[in-house]
Amino acid sequence: MSGRDPGMGRSLTRTMLVAILAVALVGVGATWWQVVDASRLTTSPDDAANVAAARTVVRGVIRDRDGRVLAASKRDANGEPYRVYPTDAMTAVIGYASRRYGSAGIERAFDAELTGRRDPDPIQDILDHLDPSRTKKGNDLRTSLSLPLQKLAVQLLGNDAGAVVLLDPRTGEVLVDASTPTYDPNQIADPTADPAYFAALRKDPTSPLLPRATLGLYTPGSVFKIVTAVAALASGAITPKTTFPKQPRSEKSGLLVDGYRVKDGHHDFTQPKALALSEATEVSCNIFYALAGLATGGADLVRWAAAMGFGGSIPYDLPTEVSQVTSGKGSAPGGFVDRVELANAAYGQGEVLATPLQMALVAAAVANDGVIMRPRVVTAVVSPSGAVTPRPAEVWVRAFGPDVAKPIREAMTLAVEGRYGELFTSGAKVPGVLTAGKSGTAEIGGNGEPNSWFIGFAPADDPQIAIAVVVEHGGSGATRASPIAGQLMRAYFAQAAQ
Amino acid sequence: MTAAAAVAPRGIVRIRPRLRRREAMLLLIVCAVLGVGGLSLGMTTTDTVTVAGWQLLVIYGGALVAVHLAQSLAGRRTDQVLLPTVGLLGGIGLLLMIRLPQDLVAQDLGSLHLGLAQLQTVWLCLGLAVVGVLAVAVRSDAWLRMYKYTWALAGLTLLVLTFVFGIDEGGARLTLVVGPFSGQPSELLKVILVIFLAGYLAEYRPLLATERTVIGPIRLPPLPYLVPMLAMVALGMGVVIVQRDLGAALLFYIVFLVLLYIATGRTAWVGLGIALGAVASVALYLAFPHVRERVSVWLDPFADPLGAGFQIVQALHAFARGGLFGVGLGAGLPEIAGNLPIPAVHTDFPLAAIGEEMGLAAVLGILALYLVVLERGLRIAAAAADPFRALLAAGLALVVGAQALVIAAGDLRLMPLTGITLPFVSYGGSSILANSLVVGLLLAISDRGIEAPAPPRTRGPVMRALRRGRG
Amino acid sequence: MDPFVLALWAVRLALLALVWLFLFAVARVLMRDVRRAAAEPGAELGRLVVVASPDREPPVGAAFPVDAVTTIGRDLASTVVIADAFASTEHAVITYRGRAWFIEDRGSTNGTYVNGSLVDGVVPLAVGDEIQVGRVRLRLERGRR
Repeated sequence: MSGRDPGMGRSLTRTMLVAILAVALVGVGATWWQVVDASRLTTSPDDAANVAAARTVVRGVIRDRDGRVLAASKRDANGEPYRVYPTDAMTAVIGYASRRYGSAGIERAFDAELTGRRDPDPIQDILDHLDPSRTKKGNDLRTSLSLPLQKLAVQLLGNDAGAVVLLDPRTGEVLVDASTPTYDPNQIADPTADPAYFAALRKDPTSPLLPRATLGLYTPGSVFKIVTAVAALASGAITPKTTFPKQPRSEKSGLLVDGYRVKDGHHDFTQPKALALSEATEVSCNIFYALAGLATGGADLVRWAAAMGFGGSIPYDLPTEVSQVTSGKGSAPGGFVDRVELANAAYGQGEVLATPLQMALVAAAVANDGVIMRPRVVTAVVSPSGAVTPRPAEVWVRAFGPDVAKPIREAMTLAVEGRYGELFTSGAKVPGVLTAGKSGTAEIGGNGEPNSWFIGFAPADDPQIAIAVVVEHGGSGATRASPIAGQLMRAYFAQAAQ
Repeated sequence: MTAAAAVAPRGIVRIRPRLRRREAMLLLIVCAVLGVGGLSLGMTTTDTVTVAGWQLLVIYGGALVAVHLAQSLAGRRTDQVLLPTVGLLGGIGLLLMIRLPQDLVAQDLGSLHLGLAQLQTVWLCLGLAVVGVLAVAVRSDAWLRMYKYTWALAGLTLLVLTFVFGIDEGGARLTLVVGPFSGQPSELLKVILVIFLAGYLAEYRPLLATERTVIGPIRLPPLPYLVPMLAMVALGMGVVIVQRDLGAALLFYIVFLVLLYIATGRTAWVGLGIALGAVASVALYLAFPHVRERVSVWLDPFADPLGAGFQIVQALHAFARGGLFGVGLGAGLPEIAGNLPIPAVHTDFPLAAIGEEMGLAAVLGILALYLVVLERGLRIAAAAADPFRALLAAGLALVVGAQALVIAAGDLRLMPLTGITLPFVSYGGSSILANSLVVGLLLAISDRGIEAPAPPRTRGPVMRALRRGRG
Repeated sequence: MDPFVLALWAVRLALLALVWLFLFAVARVLMRDVRRAAAEPGAELGRLVVVASPDREPPVGAAFPVDAVTTIGRDLASTVVIADAFASTEHAVITYRGRAWFIEDRGSTNGTYVNGSLVDGVVPLAVGDEIQVGRVRLRLERGRR
């Protein structure tokens, strides 16, 4: 105890400095939640203020592109509003809004607009925040969805699980975003409904609550060849005229890649001929695409796929799952394990996984000269006073150039209209309209039937719609997916003609 | 100790009141905050120009002024910033308690039914009484220094009693009930721990500076001198850990490390301490499922937003709703089916409520207020007469500052949430009284003594004057 | 917008402004405090160093700052606590008046000694003087600056 030595003063000063730093850090944390990240939280439908408001606010009406009601509100015995849905075909995209179970789909993504929490007019929005006593009414949503087409899509999928995405490649407007099995949203939204229904839905092994078009990941099989074609052409690895002498020789015995055999053998009729891009696409030649993929290389395949959205989330109006070309665990270029995985990926097997929306965008990209418009469902927010705030079309990415798109468009046209192509895409052709497409039969391992795929667009010379169809365990592409796509496109053009 | 003897020897010096101008000015602002806050709340809740809970605000403001006057009249030259600072913190807390549903906490005393805000007012006034008595009466620190082992023993006994006879609340056994009173002894223990550590470190400082134990590259002071201190810290932390009071354990450890650093000036020991703390944390993580749950909730509260992550997710939403300037006192915290979004808002999450209703501006302000308390404590330490007072002042300020930081960081998801209170703001008698004890002691230590009496003209009259004074 | 809402917002912002006004006022006080501390370093008037202490409380070598009024005794509230059986509860008082030190015995049982002579009433004290309280001897030294 010899008094205070000067050493302690220094320690005290340093302690104070550390304390100031710590307080500053907490202050930064507060700033993060209160300012930087605030809007994400406050607009979330899980926010207590929104939940409280939602109990009394009458949510806006959701309509399809022709004004048909897709979701509306009623009042229960206590005068509190609840949601009613005229159809269950829309569940994958519209979702539900329930007092008990929260919300899903557009009901969730546009909760702020539907409950009037966010006014489309920014000045009105600030006034609303200053004076919370102002009574709020929900905004209506105008969507690009087509109720008849969506109903047809669900009906065509029937008892199979699957998904359909149909969109306008010129604007990004989605007309069909269907997923089966569907469920009855009224039994979730109605406050008097039996809670057992929702509990059963959650446990259902066929997962009806999963919106497959946006969150379902499937092995794409041969429809992925379009991505490989884009990568190969865009990177300069092949030209539309490139042939591989190895290809016809390998048709019988299979192509040997580092000890692994890529099998083909489903187009005996072309055997002695070395195929170029169009013919290989017409007959869905695995060996051509494996060779094209190897020539492109893993890095370029992943890069051009990423240009179309693979490996990232798609700025859709609903949450989307991330599609992948490879799991990226390997050390070979692009993240492939080895050349075998790359060769398999080139024709859509291996570790390739894609959502139906992603594959529809691939078709749309080819249809629209490589330009992908931002896909969207909601085209306008209509305030209670009738003011319309449109959500205009916008370019998402320019994935590749018209010089790449043109030969692939021709190849895809041949795959539907061609003499041999017809065999692989039967039923996809729209009478009187030049149709382009590509079918896929995705082997999924095990003993199950393969997933049936089709992607395409029409008219091939002036595309107005692009489509992707997947039917789980539907067999070959020609069995299920191609006819569904054909009928939907036919219905679209029949409607457009009226 | 006797209060009267502490002031000054009778007759030697007459107690002359001293004007405490700075304190008065700062308290004036605090009273303005109370008034404007009550007005803001009243206007929001009733849509008329009224001051909500004005009776309670007047009582509290009066208590603050009373402590100020008591110090002025006693002529003490204590710190003038501390009282208004903690007074403002307590005032903001009281406004929040007036705003919250009164039935969150309720107690019947005879025919008297007291709700949340009324109880908080009672606790705050009791706390201010503690501050006032300590600041005016305590003249010496010897009673703390000399009986450090006694204090330590008393603290530990209290803890063990809680452990044996305490009642479980929310999975943790923290509350001791004696008759109609209940309290959380770990709040008191933190003050006792600081007193013990300050006394011990001050006494053995010269010895701790020598490095007689060499284990490989690590040079430690003679081990026998470390044992009592480490035993006390380990015992204190061990008991609170078994009681699942992780926040208190973390607080003890932080205070221990910082005091060790201040006493010895060795960064290496702090590094060693942090490393040991990290190892202990991992061990705790592996040993206790409730620790694992806390950590997983911290890492991803949104994984289970309706279950384990509920409170923290709701708190983050509340912060987000507040934005820069808040939605206004009384306009936030939307009730869902009559329930608050954050059930523990008055104890663990007052910061979230303040963040929502008064905005980032108030949250940063409150953080700055704790920084002021820390600054005052360390300043008092720097000016203290001897190492014991210096370490005591630094340790006491740290207890308040570190506790505020730990819970604020927990509320903001910067670290796992630990159920400790925000000093002076949170509801709770134990917390307020223990922290008042801290402020009272800090004020007492900060006293710069009685002013020198006027010089005697000659020797004779002085002696006569002094003798007269004695008689 | 209705005037009540405007007034309410004014009140809300005034509340925040007041909190920050408080902080700025505190900051001003702290700045002055720092400046004053820089202007007069070491305000210690003098110090008492323990020269001999048979019971080792206070320990030999310990130093106590001496203020304007310093009480010495066994009472725990004393400025300098002498835990010696021969010291009285309220033993002696040292005062600093004008520019000089004085010591006064407070009616202790065993008396107070300055440089060996018994203190009767108030006696002036000089730096370097040795005070004996009970068996404890303390030396008055210049304060540290």
